[in-house]
Amino acid sequence: MTEILSASILPAILFLTALIVLFSDKSAFDAFLSGASDGVRSAVGLLPSLCALIVAVEMLFASGFADFAAEALSPVFGALGMPSELLPLLVTRPISGSASTAVYTGLLEKYGPDSMTALIASVIMGSSDTAIYVISVYFSSINIKRTRHALAASLLTMLVTIALSAVLCKIFFK
Amino acid sequence: MLGKSFAVMVCFSFVFALFTGNVPALSGAILDGAAKAVTLSISLLGIMCLWGGIMSLLSYSGMIRKLSRVLRPVLRHVFPNAFSTGEGEEEIVACVSANALGLGNAATPLALSAMKKMQEYSGSDTATDDMVTLAVLGTSSFNLFPSTLVALRRAAGSADPYCIVVPIWIVSALGCLTAIILSRIMAPLTGRRAR
Repeated sequence: MTEILSASILPAILFLTALIVLFSDKSAFDAFLSGASDGVRSAVGLLPSLCALIVAVEMLFASGFADFAAEALSPVFGALGMPSELLPLLVTRPISGSASTAVYTGLLEKYGPDSMTALIASVIMGSSDTAIYVISVYFSSINIKRTRHALAASLLTMLVTIALSAVLCKIFFK
Repeated sequence: MLGKSFAVMVCFSFVFALFTGNVPALSGAILDGAAKAVTLSISLLGIMCLWGGIMSLLSYSGMIRKLSRVLRPVLRHVFPNAFSTGEGEEEIVACVSANALGLGNAATPLALSAMKKMQEYSGSDTATDDMVTLAVLGTSSFNLFPSTLVALRRAAGSADPYCIVVPIWIVSALGCLTAIILSRIMAPLTGRRAR
C-alpha cells in the first residue's frame, strides 16, 4: 500500500502541475521555466563545493579513518540501535548540505542503496536540515547576538529525528 | 563552514593514512572523488531543473495562500507574541505554509522578513521566543517529496528508490512537532522572557 503511495506521489505532483498550467493564465508556464532555470543554476553551482567535499569524503573512507571511528564508536551506537557507519553523516548533517550529500552518496555506494544503513541515512537526510547553518543565517541577518535556546532546541530536535529515523526504518523495512 | 568541513576531513584522512600506511590509497580516492562530483552533479541536474520548475509553479499558483488560511488558527498558538502585536504575522504564516509544501526557496526570504519585523519591534539584540521558534522550525521542515534523495538512490541502483518517502513524511512531521514543543518549553529556561 505505502509502496504504491510512495511511487505515485511524483506522477500526482506532475499531474497537478499540468492542471495548473492548463487552467491558469499564460504566465504560469513562465513561472515553471524560470524556476527550472534556477534549478539548473543551483545544480551547476553545487559542483565546486561538491567536488571539494566528495574528494574529502573519499579520502576519509580510503584512509580507513571512517571505518576506524565507526568501529571505535560502535558500542555506543549499538546500544542505541544505530549503525555506527552513520557517524560521518551525523557529524556533517547540521553543518553543511554539500558535505552531508557527499557523505550520503558515499554511504549509498559503500553499503548499497537498499541496506539498512543507507535507508536510515536517507530518512535522516530527508527529515533534518543543516541546523547550525540555518540558525546562523536567520539570526545574523538581523544582528541578533543572543540566540538563547535556538541552537540547543534545534540540535535536540535533530537528535529526536535521528532516533525516530532509526526506529521507524527498523519497523518499516523488516 | 564549508571550508572547515573540507579542511578537517582532509587533515584527519592524511594524518590517519600516514599511520596506517594508506597514503598511496588516497591518490586514487582523490581522483575518483573529483570525477564522482561531476557524475553526481550531472545526475542531479535533470531532477533539480524539473523540481525547481514545479516548486516555482506551486508558489505562483497561490498554494501558499490557500494553505495559510488553514494553518493560521493553529499558528496563533505557536507564535503568540507575533500574533498579538501583528508584527511579522503575515510573513510567519506564509513562511510556515511554504515550508509545509516543501517550498524551501520561497520559505527562506519570508522567514528572513518575519525575523526582521520581529526584531524591529523588540529593538533588542536578544532573540524573542517567537524568533527562536521560527528559526528552530526552519531547521526541521516537513518534506513533501525528497526529489534529490530519490534521484541519488536511483542513480546508485536502488531496487525501490521511492520506499523512503513515507518514513520521511512521518519523521519530518514528527520533527516539526518536536521543534515547536521544544522551543516553547525551553523558552522560560533561557533567561528573561522577551516580548
